Amino acid sequence: MVSPIVQLAVSTAIFSAPLVLGGLGALASERSGVINIGIEGKMLFAAWAAAFGGLVSGNPVVGLVCAILAATVVSQAHWALTQLFGIDHVISGMGLNAVAAGATSLLSKTLLAPYAGAKAAALPLPFFWVAAVLAALGAAFVLHRTRGGLHLLAVGHDPDKARQAGLRPVAVRFKALLFTGLLAGLAGALLISNARGFTDNMTSGRGYIALAALILGGWRPWPTFAACLLFGFADALQLQFQGTPLWGASIPVEAWQCLPYVATVVALAAKWGGTKAPAGLGRP
Amino acid sequence: MNARLGWLVLAGAGLVWAVVASTGTPVPDALREMFTGAFGTPAGWRETFKESTPLLVLGASVFWALKAGLFNIGADGQYVVGGLAAAVVGLRVPGPAGVLTGTLAGVGAGAAWAFLPGWIKAYRGGHEVITTIMMNNIGRLMATALAAGVLKAPGQQNAETPLLPDATTLPNLVHNGAFRLSWAFPIGLLVVVGMAFYFGRTVGGFEASATGANPRASRFAGIDVRTATLRAMLASGAVAGLAGALQVFAVKHQFNADFSPGYGFDALGVALLAAGQAWIVIPSALLFGALARGTSALSILGVPKGLNGVLLGIVVLVFAAVRYRKEVAARG
Repeated sequence: MVSPIVQLAVSTAIFSAPLVLGGLGALASERSGVINIGIEGKMLFAAWAAAFGGLVSGNPVVGLVCAILAATVVSQAHWALTQLFGIDHVISGMGLNAVAAGATSLLSKTLLAPYAGAKAAALPLPFFWVAAVLAALGAAFVLHRTRGGLHLLAVGHDPDKARQAGLRPVAVRFKALLFTGLLAGLAGALLISNARGFTDNMTSGRGYIALAALILGGWRPWPTFAACLLFGFADALQLQFQGTPLWGASIPVEAWQCLPYVATVVALAAKWGGTKAPAGLGRP
Repeated sequence: MNARLGWLVLAGAGLVWAVVASTGTPVPDALREMFTGAFGTPAGWRETFKESTPLLVLGASVFWALKAGLFNIGADGQYVVGGLAAAVVGLRVPGPAGVLTGTLAGVGAGAAWAFLPGWIKAYRGGHEVITTIMMNNIGRLMATALAAGVLKAPGQQNAETPLLPDATTLPNLVHNGAFRLSWAFPIGLLVVVGMAFYFGRTVGGFEASATGANPRASRFAGIDVRTATLRAMLASGAVAGLAGALQVFAVKHQFNADFSPGYGFDALGVALLAAGQAWIVIPSALLFGALARGTSALSILGVPKGLNGVLLGIVVLVFAAVRYRKEVAARG
């Protein structure tokens, strides 16, 4: 019998890690000025690719590589749509999410059908936990301590001034979105490690929650990490207390599941976070 | 720029081709089947209108907010709570009075669900995309809990309310063989007409679209931007709630857990395609309805339904590249 505290900690780690990876992926893009509502589609497409790679090759590393490649393709498509075609960032993100949801659902019924019931090869969960912590460390270091990170911040803060200083926002954002693809790919592969197979819309809004965590965290790496832990903890609590009556009344599962969403709305209403948005967000 | 756009259209077409081909169905056959599925038979037309109706009303809802510069991703949640409220009232008030009060309840519930995101956007500066997505999740979970709990039909396994009595439903406007058209569709048309009048002819409508076009300039011009924002969000929620109520009274005759197969997101596409012109919501909703119907007809040929999402996303992206461009400043 595992103690409830340990159980709670483990499920918090399980639920938080995809949020951390997705949230930091969105951070790279948003700090460079590209609004990243499309992180959901990137994670979903990565999850499909991780399942595909893991099933076809039987090799967990191949699955991970497929996931990162898939998320990178969507991420750079997002770069092209917003930076080359100049499409509104929210619209292109939502469009990519629709394409990703449709394509993965369709491809899972065709290409993955022969593997029905089989378990996809995937890396163990602790690998992704380490990756999530390293990503937060890396993000904090790269953003404030490296030349590339400072360029990224400059472009995200004021693209016009950055341009005058000789930076090319389009090029800086290309690199920033590569990081987004890498982290969204890890997030998608993690979902497959946990589920061992692809189901339609299996991200189920985690990308949006990750984005909410980023906003609550004021677009800073560690506070974003903490917000993701909080959301993961709310999910873990929900799992722990499912069906347990509270003060004699039975609480529906859904009420527990609502917790992170209610927390987000309350936090935004109370003006926590959301005030330090990168000034260049959504600008050409 | 035009050459670039050509590349985007080509890439989109190539992607659709690849996706359809991956299912093993020849692409020309698939296109023909889609078209005849949506427009080839009276039953096809019936289904096309049935798919288009919620998209028409929800498209109007999203359009209303968009005109004021708001992305109401929350239309889906407002639609769900609107449908739930309509079903609850409809089950308690019999006859046409139930349809009327139920519809009002749906409209009120939709507006109530939009209040918090609207208020947070107007007075707290919190982005409406995030808050409305959160409200969607809360609404869906809450509605599921209620439909599976206190509101569940006795003796039912699924999470669904009892069916409304026939007297408490919206009749068909046309019933001719396999073709049927419910009253919900002309009501949706009326909403669009009312909306076009509001934005074209009234002070409130002008203030809303001015706010959407340029909030700072509007503030200097003496428009109360906060009120205009909140008002647009409430109106958008009310219309989304109406869509839920119409779906209950005209189509479903009950509320169930899978009340929305993501209509709110499709409606975003409908509203974006209308590109600021209220009337265009009508053909745009019909196009998306036909796409939905056509792709479900394709399932006979073994093409899974996911194709709809791919087509919808590509239509939105290509169209947005034409219409929703921000100036791409000096190359580099």
